[in-house]
Amino acid sequence: MKVLLVDDSGTMRTIQKRCLLKLGIGEEDIVEAVNGQSALEQFDRGVFDIVITDWNMPVMDGLTLLKEIRKNDKEIPVVMVTTEAEKSRVVSAIEAGISDYLVKPFTVDTLKDKFQKWVPAMV
Amino acid sequence: MDVSYINPFIESASNVFNITLNSPLTRQGLSLKQTDTPLYEVSAVIGLSGKVSGTVVFSISAPVAFGIVKQMLDTDVAEINADVADAVGELSNMIAGGAKVHFSQYNLALGLPKVLVGHNHVLRFPGNVRPICVHFKARWGAVALEVGLDTLAISTENTADQDADLELAASC
Repeated sequence: MKVLLVDDSGTMRTIQKRCLLKLGIGEEDIVEAVNGQSALEQFDRGVFDIVITDWNMPVMDGLTLLKEIRKNDKEIPVVMVTTEAEKSRVVSAIEAGISDYLVKPFTVDTLKDKFQKWVPAMV
Repeated sequence: MDVSYINPFIESASNVFNITLNSPLTRQGLSLKQTDTPLYEVSAVIGLSGKVSGTVVFSISAPVAFGIVKQMLDTDVAEINADVADAVGELSNMIAGGAKVHFSQYNLALGLPKVLVGHNHVLRFPGNVRPICVHFKARWGAVALEVGLDTLAISTENTADQDADLELAASC
């Protein structure tokens, strides 16, 4: 199970990565990116089972990343983890093909429940 | 500035501290910001843009910053480093993001947080903005949230809506 984890905040990547590790994902199977552009480059180079992305990032934001991914891949789960909670924003993410949405702040248990839903290999 | 605009920020800050840091945030008081110097040595600054513009500053002391990093990352730090700046920036992002929902009619966008460190940094709000400062106490010490919104734009927006309503009423 290979995960592409995208967030410009090292803090958020660490929190989410630790959750993934606890759920049984190997460290070597988690690829991190600091913005949408570098994530897209990783995505085009590798084979991933899920993309977990922030929305507001420099260079390329998460919504644009999602749209770029969906040009060629309609199936891969893309989970948005973001502070954007307004209905209009959620709707635009759904229209772009988001698979799931988690609003910050969240507890570690909420994060775990969200990730478990999309990664069936996790215990 | 209409003080009611501060309420979503107070609510969001409390929510973020409770959920992310497992720390209650006790409100201590309100004041009008009088100087350009921040209250504490770490300031996370987020710009707001859209139909209304403004700035949110999340100001904390070093001990509070260290406590935040410990709680979020389970890491002990003794100096304000990149990890501290990142954690504080992310926290301010969550606070501003949580408040932004209550201003959806203004199509607000958040800038990326900028974190300033040291006792000598200066933060100036635009000339027509009088920021409100909310003082809190968290588990590790004092926290301040400064919010300055361009209320002239809000007043103009409200006036425009009222004019539109009047036109509609006159045409019926």
